[in-house]
Amino acid sequence: MGFFLAAVLMMLVFLTIFLGVRIVPQGYKFVVQRLGKYHKTLNPGLNFVIPYLDTIAYRVLTKDISLDIPSQEVITKDNAVIMTNAIAFISIIDPPKAVYGIDNYSIAITNLVQTSLRSIVGEMNLDDALSSRDMIKTRLKEAISDDVAAWGIVVKTVEIQDIKPSQTMQMAMEQQAAAERTRRAAITEAEGKKAAAVLNAEGAKEAAIRESEGNLEASRRDAEAKMILADATREAIARVTAAIGDKQLPATYLLGEQYVKAVRDLSASGNAKMVVLPSDVLQAVKGLLGK
Amino acid sequence: MTEILWWYWVVFGLVLVALELVIPSFTIIWFGLGACCVGLLMLPFPTLPLAGQLLLWGGFSTLWTVLWFRRFKPYMTDRTKAGMSKDAIIGETGIVIQAVQPPHVKGRIRFVVPLLGDEEWPCICDEALKAGDEARVLDIEGHVLRVARK
Repeated sequence: MGFFLAAVLMMLVFLTIFLGVRIVPQGYKFVVQRLGKYHKTLNPGLNFVIPYLDTIAYRVLTKDISLDIPSQEVITKDNAVIMTNAIAFISIIDPPKAVYGIDNYSIAITNLVQTSLRSIVGEMNLDDALSSRDMIKTRLKEAISDDVAAWGIVVKTVEIQDIKPSQTMQMAMEQQAAAERTRRAAITEAEGKKAAAVLNAEGAKEAAIRESEGNLEASRRDAEAKMILADATREAIARVTAAIGDKQLPATYLLGEQYVKAVRDLSASGNAKMVVLPSDVLQAVKGLLGK
Repeated sequence: MTEILWWYWVVFGLVLVALELVIPSFTIIWFGLGACCVGLLMLPFPTLPLAGQLLLWGGFSTLWTVLWFRRFKPYMTDRTKAGMSKDAIIGETGIVIQAVQPPHVKGRIRFVVPLLGDEEWPCICDEALKAGDEARVLDIEGHVLRVARK
């Protein structure tokens, strides 16, 4: 009887101490309810709660929590569709508010970030949305901070991970970029051709000018040559005239000899079978001399 | 029924203490220590009845537990505030950069090292603070810090 009572008592002591001592690991806080009502929050380390009255209702993680915000389609102000996702870092600063103020803070914040992201990007043009990530981030944090404050949660940062156009938009943008490049290529090619044509024309012009100059020079020299030739002929004639003087007979003789030689050559040539000879060679030669 | 010798209790106690290593609940160790005390007490009084031994064991175990919480727990200090939510920022001091005029006008306070992801926070205070005053964080209420003049 005595032993039995003592054993039961011992069991009770054991259970009481076992249930009363609570060790909270660093990075957590335990929310204690006394008879169903919030009583206190246990800090990391060794804690004692009154068994039978107090229960650990929630184990709250007080480390920073990273929330992966799933990718979603957002329509920009200029009706382009872009895909965007984000990551949020939150920290629970008031465990009772976080557990009693909202049923599930991670789902709530995830949805809040998604809707805020939609409304912020919805006010921007596609190009702005793609280029000003930092601004989106800041506005996003501002937008959700006030809402989550009542839940005892601080949003440390919200980072936009990816922000990219949807597939069809991406194709269109690529086409636009490709067209732009093609346009530039065409312009460059045309400019090249134009430059080549101008250079060719200039070359042709230069060549023509040089040719004309050459012709002019050649003609000039030709004329000069003719003048020199004429001068030489005049000189020769003058000299011949001077040499002949009044001694006509040797001249007549020389001329006659030449004449006869010419007639002989004429008669010997293959295609002249009929040769008309003047009857009076002397007179003919004299006629040549103009006497 | 075999007679229980004094050293049975001591061995039982030491086994319980050793069990604490395997099951870190920080409760078994006190029962172990209690059992050791019972064993040592049986050295001068070997004829203690079993019920008395059990009661003594329960008594000693409770005593050890209470002793720990009363005497030793106050020496357990937080060596780091990392991951302890608001405790990590309470007590930090910063410079007021925008005047606080209670009860309606919030000011802004700036810290050298960012707190919870921000260098600047809106702040409220019971007394008026002007820019340049040093202030200490008392609490965080939503996204507003409650501060006091340092």
